[in-house]
Amino acid sequence: MFRRPNLYTSYQAETQVLPTFTKKVIAIFAIVALFLMPFDVPIISGPTELPILRSIPLIGDGLPFFRFLGDAAWLRYMSDAMIVVVAALGLNILTGMAGQVSLGHAFFLGVGAYTGAFLGGHATDSVYGHGLPMWIWLPGAGVGAALVGIIVSPVAVRLRGLYLAIVTLGLVFLGIHMGNTDWGRKFAGDPSLGRSFPEMDLRVWKEETPLVSISEKGSWFGVEMSSNQKEFLFVAAVMLVFIFFAVNIKRTRTGRALQAIRDRDIAAEVMGVAEFKYKLVAFATSSFFAGVAGALYASHIGKMPAAQFNLILSIEFIAILLIGGAGTVAGTIMGSFFVILLPELVKDFSDWLSERAEGEGIVASVSEVILSGNQGDFGPISTATQTPNYPLNVFDLNLVLYGVLIIVFLIFEPLGLYGIWIKVRNYWKRWPFSY
Amino acid sequence: MTITEEQQQASEGGAGVPTVASRARDWARNAPNQVAYREKDFGIWNEYTWADSWEMIENAANGLLALGVQPGDRVSIHSEDRLEWIIMDLATVAVRGVTVGFYPTNPTAEVEYLLTDCGACIHFAEDQEQYDKVLDIGREKLSALRKIIFAEPRGMVGQDDDRLVFWESFLEMGREYKEAHPGELEARMAAAEDTDLMTLVYTSGTTGPPKGAMLTNSNANYCIEKIVKAEGRVVGGLPGPGDEIVTYLPLCHVAERIFSTWTQVGMGPTLNFAESIDTVNENLREIQPTLFFAVPRIWERLHAFTLIKANDATPFKKLLFRFGLSLGRRIGRIKVANGGEHTLLSRVLYAFGWVLVFRPLRERLGLRRCRWAGSGAAAIAPEVLEFFIGIGVPVYELYGMTENSAVATTNFVGRMKLGTVGEPYEGIGLRLDPENGEIQTKHDGVFVGYWGKPEQTAETMTEDGWLKTGDVGEWVDGTHIKIIDRIKAIIITSGGKNISPSEIENSLKTSPFVKEAMVIGEGRKYLSALISIELDTVGDWALRRGLAYTTYRDLTEKPEVIELVQGVVNETNEKFARVENIRKFRLIPKELDHEDGELTATQKVKRSAMMEIFGDLVESMY
Repeated sequence: MFRRPNLYTSYQAETQVLPTFTKKVIAIFAIVALFLMPFDVPIISGPTELPILRSIPLIGDGLPFFRFLGDAAWLRYMSDAMIVVVAALGLNILTGMAGQVSLGHAFFLGVGAYTGAFLGGHATDSVYGHGLPMWIWLPGAGVGAALVGIIVSPVAVRLRGLYLAIVTLGLVFLGIHMGNTDWGRKFAGDPSLGRSFPEMDLRVWKEETPLVSISEKGSWFGVEMSSNQKEFLFVAAVMLVFIFFAVNIKRTRTGRALQAIRDRDIAAEVMGVAEFKYKLVAFATSSFFAGVAGALYASHIGKMPAAQFNLILSIEFIAILLIGGAGTVAGTIMGSFFVILLPELVKDFSDWLSERAEGEGIVASVSEVILSGNQGDFGPISTATQTPNYPLNVFDLNLVLYGVLIIVFLIFEPLGLYGIWIKVRNYWKRWPFSY
Repeated sequence: MTITEEQQQASEGGAGVPTVASRARDWARNAPNQVAYREKDFGIWNEYTWADSWEMIENAANGLLALGVQPGDRVSIHSEDRLEWIIMDLATVAVRGVTVGFYPTNPTAEVEYLLTDCGACIHFAEDQEQYDKVLDIGREKLSALRKIIFAEPRGMVGQDDDRLVFWESFLEMGREYKEAHPGELEARMAAAEDTDLMTLVYTSGTTGPPKGAMLTNSNANYCIEKIVKAEGRVVGGLPGPGDEIVTYLPLCHVAERIFSTWTQVGMGPTLNFAESIDTVNENLREIQPTLFFAVPRIWERLHAFTLIKANDATPFKKLLFRFGLSLGRRIGRIKVANGGEHTLLSRVLYAFGWVLVFRPLRERLGLRRCRWAGSGAAAIAPEVLEFFIGIGVPVYELYGMTENSAVATTNFVGRMKLGTVGEPYEGIGLRLDPENGEIQTKHDGVFVGYWGKPEQTAETMTEDGWLKTGDVGEWVDGTHIKIIDRIKAIIITSGGKNISPSEIENSLKTSPFVKEAMVIGEGRKYLSALISIELDTVGDWALRRGLAYTTYRDLTEKPEVIELVQGVVNETNEKFARVENIRKFRLIPKELDHEDGELTATQKVKRSAMMEIFGDLVESMY
């Protein structure tokens, strides 16, 4: 009801994703902004170009975050993050919504990636590949992963919590091992180099020139675009489709059943929620998301060995859920961007510091303390890419940061970034009271 | 507007005297798709259009015909506010019956008295709880009662009382009767007369048993003409189809009947039924009514709710809230001095306050969209009204009583005077008795008499036919009426001073800690008071102080709590003259209750009963 946001006259109105006019407008603006990002629209993609911001000392000087947004390479990181959003939404359905802790998400990504490669990749002497068009290999990757998920799901009916986590952990090692067998190499290629993956081009069938080329630069609707820009747009569209599904699953009968199982599986079963069926649905849906994301990811990276789909990747997804806020779509999206973009920001930040270290003033002194460029410095961050022990290089520092962040969030903000947002929102929503 | 005009033409076009039922029918004819009612069920406000509701009324009325209800037969309704209440009410009026509303809190003994007194032949009992009260009375005592209709089947399984009819089967019965006897209802409605009784409203009876005031169709029409359609009463013009009303006070009370049912059939706003009295606050927040009538008790509760919640806020919010409140007080004073209207200064101040506090606060109270609010049925402390006026809720005090269809005085827009109940409606007879200052009225809204009590009827009328209201008033500036108190309540101390207790009581009640107060002093040397504390707020206060308590009684006996109330009493004493000061007080060791006979059904204190029950406490003060 217009002007009476709490007056619901039908269940449809009550479960609307965007219940108010304001929210609809914001959503439309957000989507428009997302699609404008890859183009050089000043406010979105290059704030440092704005004279006003330029005049502010540190920002105009290129503080990492602002400089990062103005950089050309950031488009690739954004595409990475958006693919990870799709995969993380899958894990959110399984772990956040249905409460089945899975450490095997990387395995399902891998299954998706190689199903995609098997269907859409080009056959060589050493690897399989059928060169099928994307409209087959992309959903096919999802379906392949989902089938594997269905095979695994009965385990979840028998096992809970830690035990399930260990079984799914086993999947990851199983996957890496399979990639190393002679049979597995036909799918995954050489264990150290990997194989090439299908490219994101829209074809009707196996014709030479694609209907719409995404992996080559060219013009769309009269706008000249690089392949990065095109991939960004395509991945953004795919992500929106999956966000749409993820948001809607939550408010369906299935979504409510999954949440009932999460809260107490025995109680759910007593209320008539078929545990076996819904755990199967949870695994299948989650794996479908992972499969599609895996295939996209592999295609986006281009070439990668099977060992990339390892435990670290699985843990990264757990970190995304915990930092973002398990069980919520918005939290998962926030977590994905946070976890994927954080390393880049840290790297940019240390680069920025090392640039300043030579100069004078406060920034230089701080840099001196934090960084250790030469032998004998005691700063915790090393500027070298390979370091033996104590001064951490940027990659190791990121791993440490994940660990610290997971601990901090679990203790202080179990609802993650989303929880912080909720707190901030409620502070204003409850104005002028506190409850 | 056009709808109203058409409607009037329709009702004048040979369709008998307009009744509340015929007005509802005309709305169904002229605006069938307009939403007439909303009722919350499983979290959703289900909407009923005029056409939907008229169909139900028609079926219910035919059902009553099928049950043999003759003109003048009484139909009693014992239920919380719900759609069936109004359907039943309008259906009864449609068949020229007489609606009798019971308070949901009425205990068995009172139900027995009421049912035998009015001699209802059809009784509507909402659910098992209300049905059980009838069952306890025994059949032989209720010879007139033929059928009991119930709306909630829960708990009714296995009841083999042959008088019981389920609501849905009752409507079905009506549907069949309508097919078999088409046109009978129309004929019955067309025969309606001005002098037809349409309802018995039992007065709360602070003294003696309740009396049923008889109101006729012409009383109701007069009331709709004078109050509902009074020009300049409601801010922003007459009520209309765009308005929202939340129905939550007992519908058997004349005030709620006027401000929901009669306003609705008269002007067409939407009625929203609150789920229960406990959820009023949430329901208000959802509906955000544009017209809101409340009794002082509700205003006091909203006021206390605001202060308590603000006290629990974070320091920053508290700071801004205090600032907002001081702005509100300032605005309130300016507006009160200006007849309830803004001046340029108050407008500027309000703009600041609106951004900081008022807008979200009104949203939380459910009064964000409220364009007119009323307070009536009892006296209210001016401070409370000033608070709400300050935060931008235009509250107007009005005055009236069952016996004159509540047509007496109201504060008109732009001419409000705080502390008065306003000016008489245009063209009505209203005078003060020169001897004792009693307010008397004479107009077409004055009732026919008390049901079956001619002596008492005669007692309330003067020899020249004026209604004695029993309230003492005085003129303020020659235009406005200020109510001093009930004649019976005025205290004459042993020193011979006349004291009006309700003003002192209301001042005590502005504190969020005081729920009820009763000032005593008739024939005594000085004034004393029995005070009942508000469990929620005092309990919360005690918890914050680390004061452990077990029961209500335990809480009232804590020295700290007594000290707290002493503070409230001292504050009040400062506002009054020395003779009006309360020297001693006692806290009542139990929560007052209708069932125990301490309160009337409208939650007013029964003084005589209180003096009896708490006699020891009173004596201990002298």
